[in-house]
Amino acid sequence: MRGVARRMLGRDDLADEALQDAMVLIWRKAAQQAGGAGSARGWIYAVLRNRCLTILRDGSRLASLPPEELTRLQEARQDLVPDDGWRLLAGPGRLGDCLQALDDHSRRAILMAHVAGFSHGEISARQGVPLGTTKSWIRRGLASLKECLS
Amino acid sequence: MNGTDRAELAALAGDYALGLMSATEAALFETLMQRDPALAGEVALLNDRLLPLDLSAEPAPLPEGFAEGLRARLREVAAGGDPAPGAWAGTEPGGAANLNRAPWRRRAGLAAALVIGVALGLLGGAQRPAPQPIVVAVLLDDQGQPRAVIEDYGNDTAQIRFVADVEMPPGTSIEAWTLPSQDLGPVSLGVLDGARAAVLRGPDLPPPMDAQLYEITLEPLGGSPTGRPTGPIIAKGLAVAQGL
Repeated sequence: MRGVARRMLGRDDLADEALQDAMVLIWRKAAQQAGGAGSARGWIYAVLRNRCLTILRDGSRLASLPPEELTRLQEARQDLVPDDGWRLLAGPGRLGDCLQALDDHSRRAILMAHVAGFSHGEISARQGVPLGTTKSWIRRGLASLKECLS
Repeated sequence: MNGTDRAELAALAGDYALGLMSATEAALFETLMQRDPALAGEVALLNDRLLPLDLSAEPAPLPEGFAEGLRARLREVAAGGDPAPGAWAGTEPGGAANLNRAPWRRRAGLAAALVIGVALGLLGGAQRPAPQPIVVAVLLDDQGQPRAVIEDYGNDTAQIRFVADVEMPPGTSIEAWTLPSQDLGPVSLGVLDGARAAVLRGPDLPPPMDAQLYEITLEPLGGSPTGRPTGPIIAKGLAVAQGL
């Protein structure tokens, strides 16, 4: 689990903070999650990613870092989703095949969101298209993905 | 609800699962999910489908001091204190410094087991809310990755759940063991033909205790021929007494 936080946050101290927070949340919310659909693992990782996003999107949290460090972190996140070699992110299962079947824009946008934690706005800026376009790429892509995986 | 609403909700579930909502939107959506199990199910399904993207992250071992900090925070939460997420800040200096390395390692396992065990135990236990396990052990492999969870109910009944696949060569079984005491030595809790959730009905044993060892080994088909573990250890862990 720590690997996910490190990948998204780029710094050990932030990753460990996210992991601690996630563990506490998991501990507290386990009861209300009881009987919910889906696997325990899927839920636990989702809680962790949400904590990572909270840290990423809390401007004041990152403001204490030197500007060059912030730039480094942003670039490292950008590199998490390579144009080639993205398949490694999906592992050996069917998810990779189904992602492969998507158009490049949708696939990239989905991976940027899930793996690197970019927001709609950040993704649209990086893809050089309007916000609405990014949103519809992602929605269309996810719908195809669900169909392919079902 | 008409089709357009459903489609819109499905799209929102996607945005939520991908982390594309603002904090406010996400909080609203979580309220919605609590009232609409189908919606929560949609999100859970997406989480599961996309899980390989999380599992592909390069594994990273927990840092020193992590378990101590976590344990301290959980104690506060359990005591009714409500430390806001983010309140944790380097707890190593006070906490772990007095402990020599070996007990500290044990504690690391315990704290991690505590959280993961509670989460998994409650999640899996929805259909049988009445009995509570006396101890929960999260079994980690030699890489420190959780592989299985054993909940011991103390009435010679335990439940095992796997959180990762186990590679089983043909002609082998998985056998679950516990070490109630050095005198008794390792005792078999049961033999499994695969890494699937199962109820284990072991022999008559003393009630399980905090820090009791549980492990799973790979044995010849049908279980160990000697009544003691003979094959490689797949994963092991120390139990944590429930009721913090």
